Amino acid sequence: MSVRRFFSRKRSDEDLRREMEEHIELERYLNLERGLGEKEATRQALIKFGSRQRVREDIWRMNSVTFFEKLLRDFSYAVRTLLRSPGFTVLAVITLALGIGANTAIFTVINGVLLRPLPYLNPGQIVHLEQTATRVGPDRIGFSVQEVQDYRQQSRSFSDLSEYHSMTFTLLGAKVPQRVVTGVVSANYFNVLGVRPALGRLINPSDETMSAPPVIMLSYAYWVKAFGADPKILGRPFTMNDRVHTVIGVLPPLPEFPDANDVYMPTTSCPFRSSQGMIANRDARVLTVLARLKPGVTLTQAQADINTIGHRLALSYPKSYPPAAGLAMKITPLQQELTHAARPTLLMLLGASGLVLLLACANLANLALSRQLHRSRETAIRLASGASTWDIFRQLMAESMTVALAGGILGLGIAMATVRVLVAYAARMTPLATDIHLDSHVLLFSFIVALITGVLFGSIPGFIASRSRLSLIAGSGERTAGSERGTRTRNILVAAQVAFSFVLLVGAGLMMRSLYNLLSVDPGFKTAEVLSMNLPLNWTKYSDLKTQNTFFQQIVERAQQIPGTQSVALSSMVPLNNTEGGMNGGITVEGRAVVPGEPLPQVDHQLSTPDYFRVLGIPMLSGRTFTDADTSNSARVAIVNAQMAQHYWPHLDPIGRRVSTDEGKTWTTIVGVVSNVHQYGLSQDFKDVLYFPQAQVTFMGDPSLLIRTRNEPTQLADQVTTIIHQIDSQQPVTDIRTLDQLRNAQLGTPRVTSILLGTFAGVALFITLVGVIGTMGLSVTRRTKELGIRMALGATRREILFNVLRHGMAPVVAGIFGGAIAAALTTSVLTSMLFGIAPHDRVTPATIAILLTTVALIGCLIPGRRAIRIDPMKALRSE
Amino acid sequence: MARSKKTSDSEMLQGTLDMLILKTLVMGPAHGHTIAHIIEQASEEFLQVEQGSLYPALHRLEDRGWLSSSWGASENNRKAKFYKLTAAGRRQLVQETSRWRQIVRAIGLVIGEDEA
Repeated sequence: MSVRRFFSRKRSDEDLRREMEEHIELERYLNLERGLGEKEATRQALIKFGSRQRVREDIWRMNSVTFFEKLLRDFSYAVRTLLRSPGFTVLAVITLALGIGANTAIFTVINGVLLRPLPYLNPGQIVHLEQTATRVGPDRIGFSVQEVQDYRQQSRSFSDLSEYHSMTFTLLGAKVPQRVVTGVVSANYFNVLGVRPALGRLINPSDETMSAPPVIMLSYAYWVKAFGADPKILGRPFTMNDRVHTVIGVLPPLPEFPDANDVYMPTTSCPFRSSQGMIANRDARVLTVLARLKPGVTLTQAQADINTIGHRLALSYPKSYPPAAGLAMKITPLQQELTHAARPTLLMLLGASGLVLLLACANLANLALSRQLHRSRETAIRLASGASTWDIFRQLMAESMTVALAGGILGLGIAMATVRVLVAYAARMTPLATDIHLDSHVLLFSFIVALITGVLFGSIPGFIASRSRLSLIAGSGERTAGSERGTRTRNILVAAQVAFSFVLLVGAGLMMRSLYNLLSVDPGFKTAEVLSMNLPLNWTKYSDLKTQNTFFQQIVERAQQIPGTQSVALSSMVPLNNTEGGMNGGITVEGRAVVPGEPLPQVDHQLSTPDYFRVLGIPMLSGRTFTDADTSNSARVAIVNAQMAQHYWPHLDPIGRRVSTDEGKTWTTIVGVVSNVHQYGLSQDFKDVLYFPQAQVTFMGDPSLLIRTRNEPTQLADQVTTIIHQIDSQQPVTDIRTLDQLRNAQLGTPRVTSILLGTFAGVALFITLVGVIGTMGLSVTRRTKELGIRMALGATRREILFNVLRHGMAPVVAGIFGGAIAAALTTSVLTSMLFGIAPHDRVTPATIAILLTTVALIGCLIPGRRAIRIDPMKALRSE
Repeated sequence: MARSKKTSDSEMLQGTLDMLILKTLVMGPAHGHTIAHIIEQASEEFLQVEQGSLYPALHRLEDRGWLSSSWGASENNRKAKFYKLTAAGRRQLVQETSRWRQIVRAIGLVIGEDEA
């Protein structure tokens, strides 16, 4: 029967009714003509026609699709039943909405970050090449220009190999001088990625020659932000590094990878990259390399290819590839490169929210089960009056499905409301987070999750109910209490809930202890009331030490005079700002033999003005700090941190000893030792640091201004900026932040992870507690008579309480054991997210076990108290 | 299903009512009452169409695409639903008629009667 007819049944029934009326009317008319009386004519006509109702029913049935019919009936019955117990319904829908909402929100992020293909052409072919000095450290060291050329010429696996590095330049020609993050790329870079320009054209090989007129491309975000997406931007000239650059195109919206660049320029436009020293120096490794695999070439083949080239280079240039450094090549698919930081966290969170949902299902199944037990008489009557067990099962499933779908819709709303917060969180871990939104995949996901949820929490009560015994009608025995089978199922459900929440609580516990460890890390300096800002230097203007010194001195002196400042310093680094890499270099220590063939020991180099240690509150351990007397004319001095002193002069006083940064040509005397500082991040280890006075060494990077203030540091920001602009109106001031903000930014990701996991665990604990109390309560009700008999036979209250608690705690204890095993197997996924604590820490699960047991015991005491107050006489009479 | 009035316990073969309805409509569109009336008259009042079966049958035939229906004015100027034979219905009638003849002949042969 057609579905169309099914849905127009009402109308066709109305038609039929009129048609039949007409028929009878005609018949009556004929009867009248035959000479019958009015009444008799009508009577005869009706008799002849027979039952109109039956005809209608027959045709109605012909128009029905039985499956649909039953489904509709089940669902409308389910809705009516659910509305009759609004408490249960609201509780169930909200529980599921929270569970499904959490899962959907996290899935939305996963869908945007991990599942959606990258917005590049054939993204699977794009790979990231890395070079690491495996014997020195795990950090990637990048590639030099020479190496890029060698790999490009010698490799056989890539259709194209491109280079990239990021610089910050001043762009003149917009309303105000702007500091722009500039991607310096080889001409084939965008071909390797396979992107098309949103406007204009891409950089092509003819732009990448020293004689070509300089060109730039704008990133989409910068074009919109700085120029209001003005299409007339093409051809507009801007001055960068004292040369006029013309805009030739605008890029489409792309992930902020490798950096959030504002503009892109060919390698020949970058003064740094195009300098002869940079090009000729095989050891100046600063470039990122992206390549596109030839069709059909596998990662393994490409890896073997670059390994071969690496070996060949090592043989040709032994000085650049000392065996002691252990240089090694690695190739990573771009997708993995973009998501490796976010993947474990996101998957862990999805797992956690999945557990919460499972737990919610178990709890609802339990609730629905006890509801079902109250309705077992109704079920028995329906079975007796001809309903099949399948009918009963289906009807209960309809109820759970209705609840689950309602929960799913509400959950989708919750996900939409919360996903923005999660996006900000994910953006810390991956450049792909900018393009996260709800799409059809997410809708499908939440629908499927809702369906699974419905099946999970509907099938158990459905199964139990469809096995109801007819004897229940007679009212004999377990009228309100339910069968033994029901009790066992409920106990299993409780055990499962306890196990799930145990795993979640252990995970959350580990994350929180890790966060606590991070919070209690002493950064080595005082973060409160310090303002920091970055002053990107115009290298052409401040090219030598003298001009730099004058400029810096002016800034420091003028800033010092602002009311509210305590001390001012300039430094090559702001601590905890992990967007900046440190400068480091090899040193020669006086009195230590240099081993030929071994690379020089590497230490971090940092420049600062005299007050640096005072501004940051870094204690001097011995010796003196820099003073104004340390000038370019005086003897070279340096300060080391405690760790470097320990490494190079163990048990000796480093003061007065000399080191060289140019292999012995000039020597620098150590005049002081300062305590260690977590320079690059709270979770990073200390490094060996050598501090130089700014006045003696030419700046190579961008200096940062640090000001210790008496009050809220941000209040001074405007005044400082004004002063700097008075000194040099073209000097950009960027990254104005307090050190507290930097510290909080460091803690942001672990904090949010802990909060999310902690919330999940808290919800889990609450749901479990409700489940335990509910189950115990029902069990006490069911055993009222039995307990009454025991009491009548002389059992003491203590014995009764003990008995009830033993029954209640058995599934809890079983759950804790199960959970402990599960936790031991799963917490290793947290490894990369933990700081200062091992994933297999024993204290956390032990604490959680005690916590869960205590909570469950308190939960059991509530029905337990009811049990010992049973009046044996009443209990025995009641049934 | 139609039932013979005089031999009340003998039932018409399944599907015969469908064929009779189709046959009736060869002469032109008609409404339910007319169809029943024509069948009764044509069978010299031997066949009495039980109305309880007539309408489900009409519905079924329409559903199979052998009839089409529309509302129109009846002879005494009231609204009535008229049924019309479709092309498919005509083909179906030819098939069913020839099949019916075969059955009648076959049964006649078996029970050895000269005249059907």
